[in-house]
Amino acid sequence: MINSQQATSAMNNFVRVANIITNLDMILSQAKNLSLTAKNARVVALRAGDAAYGFKPITNFIDEFSEQTIRTTSEISKLSNQLFTLALAVVRCTDYQYQLTKAQSTSAHKCVITLQQQSLMDLKQKTRNLEQAIFSLESYFEDIQKQMRSAEYIAVTSRVEASNAGEFSHSLESVSDFIAEAAKKIKKAVNDNLQEIYKLRGALR
Amino acid sequence: MKSNELYSEESHQWLVLGRDPAKPEKIIDTNQYLIKSAEEAIILDPGGIELFSPMLAGVLHHVKLENITTLFASHQDPDIISSLGLWDKTVPNAKLYAPWLWEGFIRHFGMENIQYMPIKDEGGEIKLGTATLKFIPAHYLHSSGNFNVYDPQAKILMSGDIGASLEHGDVPLFVENFAQHIKYMEYFHRRWMPSNRAKNNWVARVRELEINMMAPQHGRIFKGEMVNEFLEWFSKLDVGIA
Repeated sequence: MINSQQATSAMNNFVRVANIITNLDMILSQAKNLSLTAKNARVVALRAGDAAYGFKPITNFIDEFSEQTIRTTSEISKLSNQLFTLALAVVRCTDYQYQLTKAQSTSAHKCVITLQQQSLMDLKQKTRNLEQAIFSLESYFEDIQKQMRSAEYIAVTSRVEASNAGEFSHSLESVSDFIAEAAKKIKKAVNDNLQEIYKLRGALR
Repeated sequence: MKSNELYSEESHQWLVLGRDPAKPEKIIDTNQYLIKSAEEAIILDPGGIELFSPMLAGVLHHVKLENITTLFASHQDPDIISSLGLWDKTVPNAKLYAPWLWEGFIRHFGMENIQYMPIKDEGGEIKLGTATLKFIPAHYLHSSGNFNVYDPQAKILMSGDIGASLEHGDVPLFVENFAQHIKYMEYFHRRWMPSNRAKNNWVARVRELEINMMAPQHGRIFKGEMVNEFLEWFSKLDVGIA
């Protein structure tokens, strides 16, 4: 049987899903910026010629991981729509259970008991579906975390290369700074989401 | 939730459910109507989420769940049909008759299983056992897509928000003194009903019907001569005034 506290908890879980999706938008936008930065860096490196010789392969790396992050985030975005639907289904089933519990307090009709048993099974199924979706989501975030570790490494390497690029040092250093900053923001968003997922999984158990 | 029988013949019965003593104080009291034949039942304006559990318990006193084949929503307001998402799980094979105009809006209450049966602007009718129920257009009274339900055999008009009154406490089921009842209706009708033209058109059409009982969604029911008194009063009332 569901009480009002459990109904509120289902709604809190729905809010957690909404937080995860909001963070996803941020990750996607930062990943797109990273991709743009790679393109700009390539142009600067070309202009710098031999002075930025070591920087050119780095731009390929930036491009590679930003594209990878965009791909992963786009996959997550598809999953997140599904996640919203599943979370909403759990909220509705929980609310239905709660209403049936209230009905049972005023009526011992066997129909109410049958409805409650059926809806409890439905709720369990919907909760399992949500758990599975969350499990898939978690593995995607772990991928992004790995990509961001590469990004931080590239930011450090590119700063060293930028310092040797003469008059182009300043432009290339700002590329390094941007990568470091974007990686930091994405990592934070991913960590926040992993924490939300952790809480969500705990709440669904 | 209290229930009272309004009409009973072999073919079908009318019941009104409402005046729930456990209703949260700040939500408006509503009348829900249940019409049942031997094999089928329809709930007219099933009500809001807050009233779902007492409604379900109340309805099951009178009909089997599998006999609830139809729901009707006079318009889109939450006190009319926000319980739809819960009924959708309770009677997934039922049909909902409601104004075509509101389909995209009403679906926001959650509707995965129940079938939406849009009522055309000019109205329509359905069968419940051997009884016929007519959907009488009542657009702009108050909603822009709005219907009443008329039962020619029982001579009952379920008038939705028309004739509604806002009274507190344990209110009697029927209007006993029309003059004294006006104070509970006047502001509601002036404020909620936006169009004198729509109102006069409705009064003219409804005067053509034989009505023993006019059953609104809020407050007391009009019976016998009280119906004509209401029509007379409403025809003269200037509406659409804040």
